Amino acid sequence: MSSLLTFISVNDGKIKRSSLEVLSRCREEAERLGLDNEAVVVAPDASNYSEQLSGYGVSKVYVVEDPIFKNPLNTPLLKALDAVIEKAAPRVVAFASTEGSKDILGALSASRNVPALPDVSSFEVTDSGVSGKRPVMAAKILSSVEAKGDTVLVSVRSGSYDLTESSSEPEVETIDFSVSEEEIKVVLKEILSASGDRVDLSEAEVVVAAGRGVRDEEGREMISELASVLNAGIGASRALTESGAYDPSLQIGQTGKVVSPQLYIGIGISGAIQHVAGIMNSKVIVAINKDPDAPIFDIADYGIVGDLYKVLPPFIEEIKKLKVS
Amino acid sequence: MKFYICIKQVPDVNAPLQIKEGQLLQDTDRMILNAYDASAVEEALVLSEKHDGEVEVVLIGPDKAKETLRKALAMGADKGTHIVTEDESYDSAVYSKILTAFFNDKEYDYIFCGKQAQDTDSGLTGGMLAMQLDLPYTTNAVGMEFENGSILVKRQGDAGQEMISVPSPGLVTCSNDMNEPRIPSLKGIMQSKRKPVDTISTGDLGLSEDDLAVRTQILSFEEKPEREAGRKFEGEPDEVAREVAKLLDEEAGVL
Ligand SMILES: Cc1cc2nc3c(=O)[nH]c(=O)nc-3n(C[C@H](O)[C@H](O)[C@H](O)COP(=O)(O)OP(=O)(O)OC[C@H]3O[C@@H](n4cnc5c(N)ncnc54)[C@H](O)[C@@H]3O)c2cc1C
Ligand SMILES: Nc1ncnc2c1ncn2[C@@H]1O[C@H](COP(=O)(O)O)[C@@H](O)[C@H]1O
Repeated sequence: MSSLLTFISVNDGKIKRSSLEVLSRCREEAERLGLDNEAVVVAPDASNYSEQLSGYGVSKVYVVEDPIFKNPLNTPLLKALDAVIEKAAPRVVAFASTEGSKDILGALSASRNVPALPDVSSFEVTDSGVSGKRPVMAAKILSSVEAKGDTVLVSVRSGSYDLTESSSEPEVETIDFSVSEEEIKVVLKEILSASGDRVDLSEAEVVVAAGRGVRDEEGREMISELASVLNAGIGASRALTESGAYDPSLQIGQTGKVVSPQLYIGIGISGAIQHVAGIMNSKVIVAINKDPDAPIFDIADYGIVGDLYKVLPPFIEEIKKLKVS
Repeated sequence: MKFYICIKQVPDVNAPLQIKEGQLLQDTDRMILNAYDASAVEEALVLSEKHDGEVEVVLIGPDKAKETLRKALAMGADKGTHIVTEDESYDSAVYSKILTAFFNDKEYDYIFCGKQAQDTDSGLTGGMLAMQLDLPYTTNAVGMEFENGSILVKRQGDAGQEMISVPSPGLVTCSNDMNEPRIPSLKGIMQSKRKPVDTISTGDLGLSEDDLAVRTQILSFEEKPEREAGRKFEGEPDEVAREVAKLLDEEAGVL
């Protein structure tokens, strides 16, 4: 029981930034306590990531490689993690909080009979387990929580920790893996991907988010143009994912995603607590809303009171100018 | 086709709250049916109307949570079980253990849970329960239909949606992006009063105090670091738009 193990999420050949944030935190904790900082990659091309991980002070990488991991299925992933945890016997298994990790955290906690602290915004390793802080009540307040156990599962909200680098030559250990069709139990029929070449919202440095105030095609075109000028990810409030104006995977908030950009611009969004729950890790918040009393202004660093249809054209034009100069 | 829906009574996050010496004080009159569970009930009702099914709800909670069970019955669920516990320190692991004991001798096609409780956002109970009952499962459903005797779930993943077929018996956790839960009608409310509700204890399920020991705990609550309201710009759209753009560049340095 002398290591901390970070689960590394990968997407299109790249390690997700949120996993590296978690790994950076685990390295700090491992150094503080004199523990090993280890990582696990479960993917069809899992062994390709050791080099990227060498920049983060990892001593060992567990690799589970199988074509089945191309598909987002919970049973094979659970089986793989079960084998790695059995082998590594870590004090902590830390995940970035994603829909992928949420899919397995409860089941893994039950199958390993270890406690889990989901969606923390900070954590530390203690003698008896893990303590941390989690936002609750739609992120209106923070709770201090603790979990007691020899191994504790933790998932961490994106944007909670900065990336810190430190080079190492990780040892690679490949874990044998196979899974039969009966074990998988559920059948993946199809993956309906949101249009592929967009900036990934949860990793985006800049997020442009549209709300109900964006009421037509003209408004959505302005949103797209602003996003393209800023090289931003496009997000939306529930009002616009529900109406079908935007893809559901773009929803930001309690039901949707937590974003952690340098710059978030909310346009025609009132700032309901369930939406705000997903944007509090943004560095700078800008709001454009015609209602001077909209709650989003209570948390915006820069609030523009005005009709978005009148504000956006000169805003976009000015940003274009500033970007060129 | 038999559905069981696990429902939880939660405080309304919109109600005013106060923190005193690390304790959370809130209006106990403003308790509601967890929004994600309401979507799970709604979806089960729609499926059972189409495929001639039966919907039962099960709730673990204090005596006063019965009103939430009644709400689900008023929406149209056929029957309810209230597992009464007054202990407020239970975590998802304990709730999943109690549910596991409850389901052990039951027959069903599908169990639906919410994807998370809207006050704590834990999102663990469904996966724990599926593992303990050895059921195939998927999470974060945004749509469902029957196909060849199995439920075909549209699951919201990180990048897009995944169509996953879950055979019976199985478990699905539901997002509130799936539907608009019906508001109980007056007739529904009247009928709910005559619907059967079993009231049982954890002891009735053969669980001891030791079985219900928690390994995770909330120690205290605190205000989150204040995000101060910044500056508000009102006036000629052209001018304020340009001014804020410049400030983002020069002052905030984020362009
Ligand atoms: C359990 C639960 C989970 C939820 N999860 C989420 C979530 O993850 N994400 C989320 O977003 N919501 C979520 N919601 C819904 C949330 O409560 C709000 O209903 C939603 O965020 C409102 O979206 P909106 O701000 O776009 O719309 P509205 O609240 O209708 O606000 C529209 C705003 O646009 C402004 N406006 C209108 N026209 C213009 C114009 N021409 N120019 C400028 N401004 C204009 C208006 O002044 C108004 O402030 C959840 C709710 C529940 C109960
Ligand atoms: N006390 C409870 N009674 C019945 N179902 C529950 C209870 N607690 C949790 N659940 C179910 O588990 C889901 C997830 O809860 P949680 O793990 O607390 O986020 C809820 O949406 C319910 O479906």
